[in-house]
Amino acid sequence: MASLKLLNINKTYPNGFVAVKEFNLDIKDKEFIIFVGPSGCGKSTTLRMIAGLEEITSGELYIGDKLMNDVEPKDRDIAMVFQNYALYPHMSVKDNMAFGLKLRKVPKDQIDKLVNEAAKILGIEPLLDRKPKALSGGQRQRVAMGRAIVRNPKVFLMDEPLSNLDAKLRVQMRIEISKLHQRLETTIIYVTHDQTEAMTLGTRIVVMKDGVIQQVDTPQHLYDRPNNLFVAGFMGSPQMNFIDCTVNVQGSDVYLQFTNSEISIKIPEARAKKLIDGGYEDKEVVLGIRPEDVKDEEAFIATSSESSFDAAVKVYELLGAEVFLYFTVDDHDITARVSPRTTARPGDTIRVALDLTKMHIFDKETEQIITH
Amino acid sequence: MISNQILQNTVDGMKSITRVDLCVMDTEGKTLASTISNPENYENSVYTFAESQAESQVIQGFQFFKVYDDHQLEYILLAKGDSDDVYMVGKMVAFQIQSLLVAYKERFDKDNFIKSLLLDNLLLVDIYNRAKKLHIETDVRRVVYLIETKNEKDSNALETVRSLFSGKTKDFITAVDEKNIILVKELRKNETYDDLMNTAKMLLDMLNTEAMSRVRVSYGTIIHEIKDISRSYKEAKMALDVGKIFYEDRRVIAYNNLGIGRLIYQLPMSLCRMFIKEIFDGKSPDDFDEETIVTINKFFENSLNVSETSRQLYIHRNTLVYRLDKIQKSTNLDLRVFDDAITFKIALMVVKYMKYMESIDN
Repeated sequence: MASLKLLNINKTYPNGFVAVKEFNLDIKDKEFIIFVGPSGCGKSTTLRMIAGLEEITSGELYIGDKLMNDVEPKDRDIAMVFQNYALYPHMSVKDNMAFGLKLRKVPKDQIDKLVNEAAKILGIEPLLDRKPKALSGGQRQRVAMGRAIVRNPKVFLMDEPLSNLDAKLRVQMRIEISKLHQRLETTIIYVTHDQTEAMTLGTRIVVMKDGVIQQVDTPQHLYDRPNNLFVAGFMGSPQMNFIDCTVNVQGSDVYLQFTNSEISIKIPEARAKKLIDGGYEDKEVVLGIRPEDVKDEEAFIATSSESSFDAAVKVYELLGAEVFLYFTVDDHDITARVSPRTTARPGDTIRVALDLTKMHIFDKETEQIITH
Repeated sequence: MISNQILQNTVDGMKSITRVDLCVMDTEGKTLASTISNPENYENSVYTFAESQAESQVIQGFQFFKVYDDHQLEYILLAKGDSDDVYMVGKMVAFQIQSLLVAYKERFDKDNFIKSLLLDNLLLVDIYNRAKKLHIETDVRRVVYLIETKNEKDSNALETVRSLFSGKTKDFITAVDEKNIILVKELRKNETYDDLMNTAKMLLDMLNTEAMSRVRVSYGTIIHEIKDISRSYKEAKMALDVGKIFYEDRRVIAYNNLGIGRLIYQLPMSLCRMFIKEIFDGKSPDDFDEETIVTINKFFENSLNVSETSRQLYIHRNTLVYRLDKIQKSTNLDLRVFDDAITFKIALMVVKYMKYMESIDN
């Protein structure tokens, strides 16, 4: 097992396209690290550089204490599971798992031992003599994982391994992978564009955009304290509400006035101070508030008069355990995640209040956080 | 010809089943495969037996058998012992080796046939005659994939591709040089270009994860007749080249998705030189410093959007405008104007193409 260190890693293609820029990351032994971001953000390129399948333009990559920049992929002691996996159709499950080891000329008795151990971990011992066509989708995916496990690598690299599976199987395999990490106690780097996968699997998440790391943090911290508008919008579904506002200072009180609206909310003192200290008086900022922090409960509204306003319900979506209400308040679209007991229906105008203890304020120009 | 390794595997396997020691020699008594410790002692006997009319004979405690390849004496098989059982085992092993020769020859012939097809080395009439003889269907949908490996003679990559498609007798895997693996794949009736892309991605991912090889995969268009296989191959080859020149970040390249690179790739060099002289007036875009090149590429990436480009480059809008003005001064091309931008973009691609062609010539 091993730690990884990525120091000032850059990837620029000969056509000048910068895929990854100044990537710095320390990955501890046994961590489950997730690279997440929209397509084209450089997450797969970074993973492929770690694998040795893509050359590093500049910077240093260490696995353990060893500099790996010029080491061939097969000598890096890694194993990969990628999206478009296939099984060798004429080989049994056992032979499928053993194939990579045979290519590397591992002795037969050792191959048998490694395959049997991996099969035990994955719970596919009874399937070892079956051919791929006699396996279900989930079982095939496990065999693909098995091929990586038998290598007994220092680091597992996974590039969207579940994206070809249907939704139900994906949830099931997500749990399997999580269990696998606990059982194997090894370092895993996992690439996905699915923020649910990122939140549920990772011990830490690396959010990327345009080849640049936006934030590295634990799932909870990333959700609660995003560094910028991109991270705030990317993590969470439905995404965080963003409302353009102007900062109004009246005496010692600071208000956020919604753009093109009469609505104005009073900011708690500690946050107000940050706005004043930052010189945001009369400037535009972006108020960020998660859907679950837009409340329609009477008790909450009664105690939050300074952050409440009327809103007309446009869409009502019942998801069983919760309801999404979509409002338009002047020019601003707002989503609320409320209890299914709500009586609000499309066309109703209801009173809602923002939980200001959970609000985020971003600089409109730099898109960086001003205060949580 | 069958490799000695295969012969050795065969005699080893047969010995483990029958407990009879075996040896295969050529007609001059040279040992090719053996489970006997001192086969050279029988060299002269083999030579004499090969010259004789006998089909089998007992000499020095061994039974000798002749193995033919298409009526031509190919090997002499020795089976240790003079009993009837050993005679039967010897006959069986001789038959097995003869069958291996037939099977290998057929496969070898097919491989040769496909190679000749790919390289346009066959007359049209021969294509159909030989295909019929080799039991290869002529009027089915096929496509040619080309897999370029980073390292020469990447046996792991070849083995992985063979294993992925070995169950399918209608697909052919071959190589005409040391860095490229060629897959001629028969397609189902309803297989589309999206399916071809999925197969190419699967090949890429499997070669990356299993063989741990850096590869690029390209493919040509779907053909319907066997005579067009070379066309699909040439298309795949061109796609690989165009991808290397213009789309370095793509690991899978389809001939039917080459964009503007397809046009530039077909331009004669003299025309390219004339065009570049006209645009850059004898200068080269390489003369631009790295900062300018990065700026230009980012500006193109962001569809000539000044605000977004300056944001992504972490520079002030005015700095970007200054840099664009500077480029305009040296080239007379204002990249904010669509016509000038497209001229510049094509010029950059042409330069890249010229460099590639020059590197090949050198």
